[in-house]
Amino acid sequence: MNTVLELRGVGKAFAGVPALRDIHLAVGTSELVALIGPSGSGKSTLLRCCNRLTEPDAGEVVFEGSPVPAGGAELASVRRRMGMVFQAFNLYPHLNALENAALAPRRAAGLSQGEAEGAAREALERVGLGDRTAAMPDELSGGQQQRVAIARALALRPRILLLDEPTSALDPELVGSVLRVIRSLKEDGVAMLIATHEIAFAREAADRIAFLADGEILECGPPEEILDRPKSERLQHFLSRL
Amino acid sequence: MSEFFQTFLNLEVMRESSGLLLRGLWVTVQACLIVVPGGLLFGAGLSLAQTLAPAWGTRALSWGVDVVRAFPPLVLLVLVVHGLPFLGIEPPPLLGVGIALTINTSTYYGEILRAGILSIEPTQWEAARSTGLGTAATLRHVILPQGVRNVLPDLAGNTLEAVKLTSLASVVALPDLLRMARVAQGVHFNPSPLILAALLYLALLWPLVRLIRRLGGRAVLPA
Ligand SMILES: Nc1ncnc2c1ncn2[C@@H]1O[C@H](COP(=O)(O)OP(=O)(O)OP(=O)(O)O)[C@@H](O)[C@H]1O
Ligand SMILES: [Mg+2]
Repeated sequence: MNTVLELRGVGKAFAGVPALRDIHLAVGTSELVALIGPSGSGKSTLLRCCNRLTEPDAGEVVFEGSPVPAGGAELASVRRRMGMVFQAFNLYPHLNALENAALAPRRAAGLSQGEAEGAAREALERVGLGDRTAAMPDELSGGQQQRVAIARALALRPRILLLDEPTSALDPELVGSVLRVIRSLKEDGVAMLIATHEIAFAREAADRIAFLADGEILECGPPEEILDRPKSERLQHFLSRL
Repeated sequence: MSEFFQTFLNLEVMRESSGLLLRGLWVTVQACLIVVPGGLLFGAGLSLAQTLAPAWGTRALSWGVDVVRAFPPLVLLVLVVHGLPFLGIEPPPLLGVGIALTINTSTYYGEILRAGILSIEPTQWEAARSTGLGTAATLRHVILPQGVRNVLPDLAGNTLEAVKLTSLASVVALPDLLRMARVAQGVHFNPSPLILAALLYLALLWPLVRLIRRLGGRAVLPA
Protein backbone atom coordinates (compact mmCIF):
# COMPACT_ATOMS: atom_id res chain seq x y z
CA MET A 1 0.00 0.00 0.00
CA ASN A 2 1.27 3.43 -0.92
CA THR A 3 1.59 6.08 1.74
CA VAL A 4 -0.28 9.34 1.11
CA LEU A 5 0.62 11.18 4.26
CA GLU A 6 3.33 10.56 6.79
CA LEU A 7 4.25 12.41 9.97
CA ARG A 8 7.86 11.92 10.97
CA GLY A 9 8.71 12.99 14.48
CA VAL A 10 6.28 15.90 14.48
CA GLY A 11 6.29 18.01 17.62
CA LYS A 12 4.53 21.18 18.68
CA ALA A 13 4.53 23.26 21.83
CA PHE A 14 2.31 26.20 22.72
CA ALA A 15 4.10 28.75 24.90
CA GLY A 16 6.55 26.08 26.01
CA VAL A 17 3.81 23.55 26.83
CA PRO A 18 4.11 20.52 24.55
CA ALA A 19 0.92 19.65 22.68
CA LEU A 20 2.47 17.04 20.37
CA ARG A 21 5.58 14.98 20.95
CA ASP A 22 7.49 12.99 18.38
CA ILE A 23 4.48 11.88 16.36
CA HIS A 24 5.09 9.12 13.81
CA LEU A 25 2.06 8.16 11.78
CA ALA A 26 1.42 7.13 8.19
CA VAL A 27 -1.84 7.02 6.25
CA GLY A 28 -2.00 4.83 3.15
CA THR A 29 -4.01 5.31 -0.04
CA SER A 30 -7.66 4.57 0.69
CA GLU A 31 -6.89 3.96 4.34
CA LEU A 32 -9.02 5.38 7.15
CA VAL A 33 -7.10 6.13 10.32
CA ALA A 34 -9.02 7.26 13.39
CA LEU A 35 -7.46 9.41 16.10
CA ILE A 36 -8.96 8.91 19.52
CA GLY A 37 -7.95 10.33 22.85
CA PRO A 38 -9.12 12.55 25.69
CA SER A 39 -9.86 16.22 25.25
CA GLY A 40 -6.64 18.21 24.99
CA SER A 41 -4.58 15.20 23.93
CA GLY A 42 -3.57 16.93 20.68
CA LYS A 43 -5.89 15.46 18.03
CA SER A 44 -6.74 18.82 16.48
CA THR A 45 -3.17 20.01 16.67
CA LEU A 46 -1.99 16.86 14.88
CA LEU A 47 -4.47 17.36 12.04
CA ARG A 48 -3.65 21.06 11.74
CA CYS A 49 0.07 20.34 11.57
CA CYS A 50 -0.56 18.21 8.46
CA ASN A 51 -1.53 21.17 6.28
CA ARG A 52 0.38 23.69 8.36
CA LEU A 53 -2.59 25.62 9.63
CA THR A 54 -0.58 25.11 12.78
CA GLU A 55 3.14 25.29 12.18
CA PRO A 56 4.88 22.25 13.71
CA ASP A 57 8.13 23.07 15.45
CA ALA A 58 9.78 19.70 15.04
CA GLY A 59 9.79 16.84 12.56
CA GLU A 60 8.34 16.82 9.11
CA VAL A 61 5.14 16.01 7.30
CA VAL A 62 5.51 14.18 4.01
CA PHE A 63 2.66 14.28 1.52
CA GLU A 64 2.77 12.13 -1.60
CA GLY A 65 6.48 11.63 -1.16
CA SER A 66 7.57 15.24 -0.59
CA PRO A 67 7.76 17.38 2.51
CA VAL A 68 4.84 19.82 2.83
CA PRO A 69 6.25 23.16 1.62
CA ALA A 70 6.57 25.99 4.11
CA GLY A 71 4.44 28.51 2.26
CA GLY A 72 3.45 30.21 -0.91
CA ALA A 73 1.81 28.67 -3.95
CA GLU A 74 3.42 25.27 -3.27
CA LEU A 75 1.78 25.02 0.15
CA ALA A 76 -1.53 26.22 -1.30
CA SER A 77 -1.35 23.49 -3.90
CA VAL A 78 -0.72 20.84 -1.24
CA ARG A 79 -3.60 22.19 0.84
CA ARG A 80 -5.96 21.78 -2.10
CA ARG A 81 -5.09 18.11 -2.29
CA MET A 82 -5.48 17.69 1.49
CA GLY A 83 -9.09 18.47 2.28
CA MET A 84 -9.96 19.60 5.78
CA VAL A 85 -13.28 19.34 7.60
CA PHE A 86 -13.78 21.25 10.83
CA GLN A 87 -15.82 20.45 13.90
CA ALA A 88 -17.80 23.70 13.51
CA PHE A 89 -18.17 23.33 9.72
CA ASN A 90 -16.82 26.86 9.05
CA LEU A 91 -18.93 27.27 5.94
CA TYR A 92 -19.00 30.67 4.26
CA PRO A 93 -22.33 32.01 5.52
CA HIS A 94 -22.78 34.50 2.67
CA LEU A 95 -22.49 31.85 -0.06
CA ASN A 96 -24.94 29.10 -0.94
CA ALA A 97 -23.98 25.42 -0.89
CA LEU A 98 -22.82 25.37 -4.50
CA GLU A 99 -20.80 28.58 -4.14
CA ASN A 100 -19.22 27.27 -0.95
CA ALA A 101 -17.99 24.21 -2.79
CA ALA A 102 -17.11 26.00 -6.04
CA LEU A 103 -15.06 28.86 -4.57
CA ALA A 104 -11.74 27.07 -4.19
CA PRO A 105 -11.93 25.11 -7.46
CA ARG A 106 -12.50 28.45 -9.20
CA ARG A 107 -10.20 30.78 -7.24
CA ALA A 108 -7.52 28.45 -5.93
CA ALA A 109 -7.36 25.69 -8.54
CA GLY A 110 -8.09 28.08 -11.40
CA LEU A 111 -10.88 26.09 -13.06
CA SER A 112 -13.36 27.95 -15.23
CA GLN A 113 -16.63 28.95 -13.57
CA GLY A 114 -18.42 26.14 -15.40
CA GLU A 115 -15.86 23.49 -14.45
CA ALA A 116 -15.77 24.70 -10.84
CA GLU A 117 -19.54 24.53 -10.54
CA GLY A 118 -19.49 21.11 -12.16
CA ALA A 119 -16.99 19.85 -9.59
CA ALA A 120 -18.99 21.46 -6.79
CA ARG A 121 -22.27 19.94 -7.99
CA GLU A 122 -20.68 16.51 -8.29
CA ALA A 123 -19.27 16.80 -4.76
CA LEU A 124 -22.64 17.88 -3.36
CA GLU A 125 -24.28 14.92 -5.06
CA ARG A 126 -21.71 12.66 -3.48
CA VAL A 127 -22.73 13.81 0.00
CA GLY A 128 -26.42 13.47 -0.83
CA LEU A 129 -27.15 17.18 -1.26
CA GLY A 130 -27.52 17.39 -5.03
CA ASP A 131 -30.97 18.91 -4.51
CA ARG A 132 -29.85 21.61 -2.05
CA THR A 133 -27.24 23.41 -4.14
CA ALA A 134 -29.02 26.77 -3.82
CA ALA A 135 -29.52 26.58 -0.06
CA MET A 136 -27.74 29.05 2.19
CA PRO A 137 -25.87 27.50 5.15
CA ASP A 138 -28.35 28.88 7.68
CA GLU A 139 -31.18 27.15 5.83
CA LEU A 140 -29.55 23.75 6.35
CA SER A 141 -29.47 21.45 9.36
CA GLY A 142 -26.16 20.90 11.14
CA GLY A 143 -25.75 17.54 9.47
CA GLN A 144 -26.40 19.03 6.05
CA GLN A 145 -23.98 21.89 6.75
CA GLN A 146 -21.26 19.44 7.67
CA ARG A 147 -21.93 17.52 4.46
CA VAL A 148 -21.59 20.76 2.48
CA ALA A 149 -18.28 21.28 4.27
CA ILE A 150 -17.19 17.78 3.21
CA ALA A 151 -18.30 18.58 -0.34
CA ARG A 152 -16.27 21.79 -0.24
CA ALA A 153 -13.19 19.71 0.47
CA LEU A 154 -14.14 16.97 -2.04
CA ALA A 155 -14.72 19.43 -4.89
CA LEU A 156 -10.93 19.85 -5.06
CA ARG A 157 -10.52 16.08 -5.55
CA PRO A 158 -8.17 15.70 -2.57
CA ARG A 159 -5.89 12.72 -2.01
CA ILE A 160 -6.73 12.70 1.69
CA LEU A 161 -9.33 14.21 3.97
CA LEU A 162 -8.45 15.48 7.43
CA LEU A 163 -11.58 15.50 9.58
CA ASP A 164 -11.57 17.06 13.03
CA GLU A 165 -14.44 15.63 15.08
CA PRO A 166 -16.86 16.12 12.20
CA THR A 167 -19.89 14.98 14.21
CA SER A 168 -19.15 16.47 17.64
CA ALA A 169 -21.18 19.63 17.04
CA LEU A 170 -24.21 17.73 15.79
CA ASP A 171 -27.44 16.70 17.45
CA PRO A 172 -27.38 12.90 17.98
CA GLU A 173 -30.06 12.26 15.35
CA LEU A 174 -27.94 14.03 12.69
CA VAL A 175 -24.68 12.20 13.39
CA GLY A 176 -25.69 9.19 11.32
CA SER A 177 -26.08 11.10 8.06
CA VAL A 178 -22.54 12.46 8.25
CA LEU A 179 -21.02 9.12 9.26
CA ARG A 180 -22.84 7.48 6.34
CA VAL A 181 -21.17 9.92 3.95
CA ILE A 182 -17.76 9.22 5.49
CA ARG A 183 -18.33 5.49 5.14
CA SER A 184 -19.29 5.86 1.49
CA LEU A 185 -16.15 7.92 0.84
CA LYS A 186 -14.12 5.12 2.39
CA GLU A 187 -15.76 2.66 0.02
CA ASP A 188 -14.73 4.97 -2.83
CA GLY A 189 -11.16 4.72 -1.60
CA VAL A 190 -10.66 8.23 -0.21
CA ALA A 191 -7.87 8.26 2.38
CA MET A 192 -8.92 9.81 5.67
CA LEU A 193 -7.41 10.85 8.96
CA ILE A 194 -10.23 11.51 11.36
CA ALA A 195 -10.30 12.67 14.96
CA THR A 196 -13.41 11.28 16.57
CA HIS A 197 -15.20 10.45 19.77
CA GLU A 198 -17.47 7.96 17.96
CA ILE A 199 -15.76 4.79 19.13
CA ALA A 200 -18.38 2.50 17.58
CA PHE A 201 -17.83 4.19 14.24
CA ALA A 202 -14.06 3.93 14.58
CA ARG A 203 -14.33 0.23 15.36
CA GLU A 204 -16.40 -0.52 12.32
CA ALA A 205 -14.98 1.91 9.73
CA ALA A 206 -11.33 2.50 10.65
CA ASP A 207 -8.48 0.42 9.27
CA ARG A 208 -6.34 1.59 12.16
CA ILE A 209 -6.88 3.55 15.32
CA ALA A 210 -4.24 5.72 16.96
CA PHE A 211 -4.67 6.57 20.64
CA LEU A 212 -3.31 9.93 21.64
CA ALA A 213 -2.64 11.05 25.20
CA ASP A 214 -0.74 14.13 26.31
CA GLY A 215 0.48 14.74 22.79
CA GLU A 216 1.88 11.27 22.25
CA ILE A 217 0.63 8.30 20.26
CA LEU A 218 0.59 5.62 22.94
CA GLU A 219 -0.90 2.87 20.80
CA CYS A 220 -1.71 2.41 17.16
CA GLY A 221 -3.18 -0.59 15.39
CA PRO A 222 -6.29 -2.32 14.03
CA PRO A 223 -9.54 -1.51 15.89
CA GLU A 224 -9.86 -4.90 17.63
CA GLU A 225 -6.35 -4.65 18.97
CA ILE A 226 -6.76 -1.09 20.25
CA LEU A 227 -10.31 -1.34 21.55
CA ASP A 228 -10.42 -4.94 22.80
CA ARG A 229 -6.86 -5.53 23.93
CA PRO A 230 -5.57 -2.15 25.10
CA LYS A 231 -2.03 -2.44 26.48
CA SER A 232 -1.42 0.87 28.18
CA GLU A 233 -3.15 1.85 31.37
CA ARG A 234 -4.07 5.21 29.85
CA LEU A 235 -5.99 3.57 27.03
CA GLN A 236 -7.67 1.06 29.35
CA HIS A 237 -8.74 3.96 31.54
CA PHE A 238 -9.92 5.99 28.52
CA LEU A 239 -11.99 3.13 27.15
CA SER A 240 -13.48 2.24 30.53
CA ARG A 241 -14.93 5.76 30.85
CA LEU A 242 -16.80 5.72 27.56
CA MET B 1 -46.02 86.72 11.53
CA SER B 2 -45.81 88.13 8.02
CA GLU B 3 -42.68 89.91 9.09
CA PHE B 4 -41.22 86.52 10.01
CA PHE B 5 -42.06 85.20 6.55
CA GLN B 6 -40.68 88.36 4.95
CA THR B 7 -37.42 87.82 6.79
CA PHE B 8 -36.81 84.08 6.75
CA LEU B 9 -39.02 82.63 4.07
CA ASN B 10 -39.01 85.43 1.53
CA LEU B 11 -40.00 83.58 -1.61
CA GLU B 12 -39.03 86.51 -3.81
CA VAL B 13 -35.47 86.46 -2.43
CA MET B 14 -35.33 82.70 -2.62
CA ARG B 15 -36.37 82.71 -6.24
CA GLU B 16 -33.84 85.39 -7.15
CA SER B 17 -31.01 83.60 -5.38
CA SER B 18 -31.93 80.11 -6.52
CA GLY B 19 -29.59 80.21 -9.55
CA LEU B 20 -26.65 81.08 -7.33
CA LEU B 21 -27.58 78.40 -4.83
CA LEU B 22 -27.97 75.72 -7.45
CA ARG B 23 -24.50 76.52 -8.72
CA GLY B 24 -23.31 76.22 -5.13
CA LEU B 25 -25.12 72.91 -4.78
CA TRP B 26 -23.34 71.60 -7.85
CA VAL B 27 -19.96 72.53 -6.36
CA THR B 28 -20.94 70.77 -3.12
CA VAL B 29 -21.97 67.70 -5.11
CA GLN B 30 -18.65 67.77 -6.98
CA ALA B 31 -16.77 68.00 -3.68
CA CYS B 32 -18.72 64.97 -2.44
CA LEU B 33 -17.91 63.10 -5.62
CA ILE B 34 -14.24 63.55 -4.83
CA VAL B 35 -14.32 63.09 -1.06
CA VAL B 36 -16.63 60.06 -0.74
CA PRO B 37 -15.08 57.77 -3.40
CA GLY B 38 -11.61 59.07 -2.55
CA GLY B 39 -12.13 58.48 1.15
CA LEU B 40 -13.51 54.99 0.52
CA LEU B 41 -10.64 54.10 -1.78
CA PHE B 42 -7.88 55.32 0.51
CA GLY B 43 -9.74 54.01 3.54
CA ALA B 44 -9.92 50.57 1.92
CA GLY B 45 -6.20 50.75 1.14
CA LEU B 46 -5.48 51.76 4.72
CA SER B 47 -7.55 48.95 6.21
CA LEU B 48 -5.98 46.35 3.92
CA ALA B 49 -2.49 47.64 4.68
CA GLN B 50 -3.22 47.43 8.39
CA THR B 51 -4.60 43.93 7.98
CA LEU B 52 -1.71 42.61 5.94
CA ALA B 53 1.26 44.52 7.36
CA PRO B 54 3.51 42.97 9.99
CA ALA B 55 2.79 44.12 13.54
CA TRP B 56 5.17 47.09 13.44
CA GLY B 57 3.66 48.32 10.18
CA THR B 58 0.16 48.12 11.59
CA ARG B 59 1.30 50.10 14.61
CA ALA B 60 2.96 52.75 12.44
CA LEU B 61 -0.20 53.10 10.36
CA SER B 62 -2.34 53.40 13.49
CA TRP B 63 -0.10 56.24 14.64
CA GLY B 64 -0.48 57.98 11.30
CA VAL B 65 -4.23 57.59 11.43
CA ASP B 66 -4.34 59.01 14.96
CA VAL B 67 -2.21 61.99 13.98
CA VAL B 68 -4.53 62.84 11.10
CA ARG B 69 -7.57 62.42 13.31
CA ALA B 70 -6.12 64.70 15.95
CA PHE B 71 -6.18 67.53 13.38
CA PRO B 72 -9.49 69.39 13.37
CA PRO B 73 -10.68 68.94 9.78
CA LEU B 74 -10.92 72.71 9.34
CA VAL B 75 -7.27 73.13 10.33
CA LEU B 76 -6.28 70.40 7.87
CA LEU B 77 -8.34 72.10 5.19
CA VAL B 78 -6.78 75.53 5.74
CA LEU B 79 -3.33 73.96 5.90
CA VAL B 80 -3.74 72.18 2.56
CA VAL B 81 -5.47 75.00 0.71
CA HIS B 82 -3.38 77.86 2.06
CA GLY B 83 -0.22 75.94 2.87
CA LEU B 84 0.45 74.03 -0.35
CA PRO B 85 0.88 77.21 -2.43
CA PHE B 86 3.99 77.94 -0.34
CA LEU B 87 5.46 74.72 -1.73
CA GLY B 88 4.73 75.97 -5.19
CA ILE B 89 1.80 73.58 -5.50
CA GLU B 90 -1.41 75.38 -6.19
CA PRO B 91 -4.23 72.93 -6.80
CA PRO B 92 -7.56 74.33 -7.96
CA PRO B 93 -9.69 75.11 -4.87
CA LEU B 94 -12.03 72.19 -5.46
CA LEU B 95 -9.12 69.76 -5.65
CA GLY B 96 -7.44 71.28 -2.59
CA VAL B 97 -10.63 70.84 -0.61
CA GLY B 98 -11.01 67.34 -2.03
CA ILE B 99 -7.50 66.36 -0.94
CA ALA B 100 -7.81 67.77 2.58
CA LEU B 101 -11.20 66.23 3.29
CA THR B 102 -10.27 62.92 1.66
CA ILE B 103 -7.28 62.67 3.99
CA ASN B 104 -9.54 63.32 6.94
CA THR B 105 -12.41 61.04 6.05
CA SER B 106 -10.31 58.16 4.72
CA THR B 107 -9.00 57.58 8.24
CA TYR B 108 -12.57 57.05 9.42
CA TYR B 109 -13.52 54.87 6.48
CA GLY B 110 -10.30 52.95 7.08
CA GLU B 111 -11.03 52.25 10.73
CA ILE B 112 -14.60 51.22 9.93
CA LEU B 113 -13.46 48.79 7.23
CA ARG B 114 -10.78 47.42 9.50
CA ALA B 115 -13.38 46.79 12.19
CA GLY B 116 -15.39 45.00 9.51
CA ILE B 117 -12.45 42.80 8.56
CA LEU B 118 -11.71 42.04 12.22
CA SER B 119 -15.36 41.18 12.85
CA ILE B 120 -14.92 37.99 10.82
CA GLU B 121 -13.91 34.91 12.78
CA PRO B 122 -10.39 33.57 12.19
CA THR B 123 -12.05 30.23 11.41
CA GLN B 124 -13.24 31.74 8.12
CA TRP B 125 -9.62 32.49 7.21
CA GLU B 126 -8.67 28.94 8.20
CA ALA B 127 -11.42 27.37 6.14
CA ALA B 128 -10.29 29.34 3.10
CA ARG B 129 -6.62 28.59 3.69
CA SER B 130 -7.34 24.89 4.07
CA THR B 131 -8.68 24.87 0.51
CA GLY B 132 -5.56 26.58 -0.83
CA LEU B 133 -7.06 30.05 -1.25
CA GLY B 134 -4.47 32.82 -0.99
CA THR B 135 -4.73 35.97 1.05
CA ALA B 136 -6.08 38.17 -1.75
CA ALA B 137 -8.75 35.68 -2.83
CA THR B 138 -9.73 35.04 0.78
CA LEU B 139 -10.14 38.75 1.45
CA ARG B 140 -12.04 39.36 -1.74
CA HIS B 141 -14.41 36.40 -1.66
CA VAL B 142 -14.72 35.43 1.99
CA ILE B 143 -13.74 38.20 4.40
CA LEU B 144 -14.73 41.47 2.74
CA PRO B 145 -18.23 40.49 1.57
CA GLN B 146 -19.11 39.55 5.15
CA GLY B 147 -17.06 42.25 6.86
CA VAL B 148 -18.37 45.11 4.74
CA ARG B 149 -21.92 43.95 5.31
CA ASN B 150 -21.30 44.04 9.05
CA VAL B 151 -20.24 47.70 8.94
CA LEU B 152 -22.61 48.98 6.26
CA PRO B 153 -24.50 51.26 8.68
CA ASP B 154 -21.22 52.78 9.86
CA LEU B 155 -20.00 53.29 6.31
CA ALA B 156 -23.24 55.05 5.43
CA GLY B 157 -23.00 57.11 8.60
CA ASN B 158 -19.49 58.21 7.77
CA THR B 159 -20.61 59.11 4.26
CA LEU B 160 -23.22 61.36 5.84
CA GLU B 161 -20.53 63.03 7.92
CA ALA B 162 -18.26 63.40 4.89
CA VAL B 163 -20.96 65.20 2.92
CA LYS B 164 -21.61 67.53 5.83
CA LEU B 165 -17.88 68.13 6.14
CA THR B 166 -17.79 69.68 2.67
CA SER B 167 -19.64 72.71 4.02
CA LEU B 168 -16.34 73.63 5.70
CA ALA B 169 -15.06 74.41 2.22
CA SER B 170 -16.99 77.68 2.26
CA VAL B 171 -14.40 78.95 4.72
CA VAL B 172 -11.61 78.65 2.18
CA ALA B 173 -13.68 80.46 -0.43
CA LEU B 174 -14.85 77.46 -2.41
CA PRO B 175 -18.15 78.58 -3.96
CA ASP B 176 -20.10 75.69 -2.48
CA LEU B 177 -23.73 75.68 -1.39
CA LEU B 178 -23.14 77.31 1.98
CA ARG B 179 -20.79 79.91 0.54
CA MET B 180 -23.26 80.88 -2.19
CA ALA B 181 -26.03 81.13 0.37
CA ARG B 182 -23.89 83.58 2.37
CA VAL B 183 -23.23 85.58 -0.78
CA ALA B 184 -26.94 85.71 -1.63
CA GLN B 185 -27.70 86.67 1.93
CA GLY B 186 -25.32 89.62 1.59
CA VAL B 187 -26.77 90.71 -1.72
CA HIS B 188 -30.37 90.64 -0.53
CA PHE B 189 -29.80 91.64 3.09
CA ASN B 190 -32.01 88.73 3.93
CA PRO B 191 -31.34 85.31 5.51
CA SER B 192 -33.87 83.44 3.35
CA PRO B 193 -31.11 82.02 1.10
CA LEU B 194 -29.65 80.32 4.18
CA ILE B 195 -32.99 78.65 4.80
CA LEU B 196 -33.10 77.57 1.18
CA ALA B 197 -29.54 76.21 1.47
CA ALA B 198 -30.56 74.28 4.58
CA LEU B 199 -33.48 72.79 2.67
CA LEU B 200 -31.18 71.83 -0.18
CA TYR B 201 -28.77 70.10 2.25
CA LEU B 202 -31.75 68.32 3.72
CA ALA B 203 -32.87 67.16 0.29
CA LEU B 204 -29.34 65.96 -0.44
CA LEU B 205 -28.93 64.06 2.82
CA TRP B 206 -32.45 62.88 3.57
CA PRO B 207 -32.26 59.70 1.45
CA LEU B 208 -28.95 58.81 3.12
CA VAL B 209 -30.31 59.41 6.60
CA ARG B 210 -33.33 57.23 5.86
CA LEU B 211 -31.09 54.55 4.41
CA ILE B 212 -29.01 54.51 7.58
CA ARG B 213 -32.17 54.22 9.65
CA ARG B 214 -33.23 51.27 7.50
CA LEU B 215 -29.85 49.63 7.91
CA GLY B 216 -30.43 49.86 11.63
CA GLY B 217 -27.44 52.07 12.27
CA ARG B 218 -26.95 55.15 14.35
CA ALA B 219 -28.06 58.35 12.65
CA VAL B 220 -25.00 60.14 13.99
CA LEU B 221 -21.52 58.76 14.45
CA PRO B 222 -19.70 59.79 17.58
CA ALA B 223 -17.11 62.35 16.52
N1 LIG C 1 -3.68 27.90 19.56
C1 LIG C 1 -3.34 27.37 20.73
N2 LIG C 1 -2.72 28.11 21.66
C2 LIG C 1 -2.34 27.58 22.84
N3 LIG C 1 -2.57 26.32 23.19
C3 LIG C 1 -3.18 25.51 22.32
C4 LIG C 1 -3.61 26.00 21.05
N4 LIG C 1 -4.20 24.97 20.39
C5 LIG C 1 -4.15 23.91 21.21
N5 LIG C 1 -3.54 24.22 22.37
C6 LIG C 1 -3.27 23.29 23.49
O1 LIG C 1 -2.70 22.13 22.96
C7 LIG C 1 -3.23 20.97 23.59
C8 LIG C 1 -3.84 20.06 22.57
O2 LIG C 1 -5.01 20.67 22.03
P1 LIG C 1 -5.90 20.06 20.90
O3 LIG C 1 -6.93 21.06 20.57
O4 LIG C 1 -5.03 19.58 19.81
O5 LIG C 1 -6.56 18.81 21.64
P2 LIG C 1 -7.73 17.86 21.14
O6 LIG C 1 -7.27 16.48 21.35
O7 LIG C 1 -8.16 18.26 19.78
O8 LIG C 1 -8.90 18.19 22.18
P3 LIG C 1 -10.48 18.17 21.97
O9 LIG C 1 -10.91 16.74 22.03
O10 LIG C 1 -10.99 18.95 23.14
O11 LIG C 1 -10.77 18.83 20.66
C9 LIG C 1 -4.21 21.46 24.62
O12 LIG C 1 -3.57 21.50 25.86
C10 LIG C 1 -4.55 22.84 24.17
O13 LIG C 1 -4.85 23.67 25.26
MG1 LIG D 1 -9.91 19.09 18.98
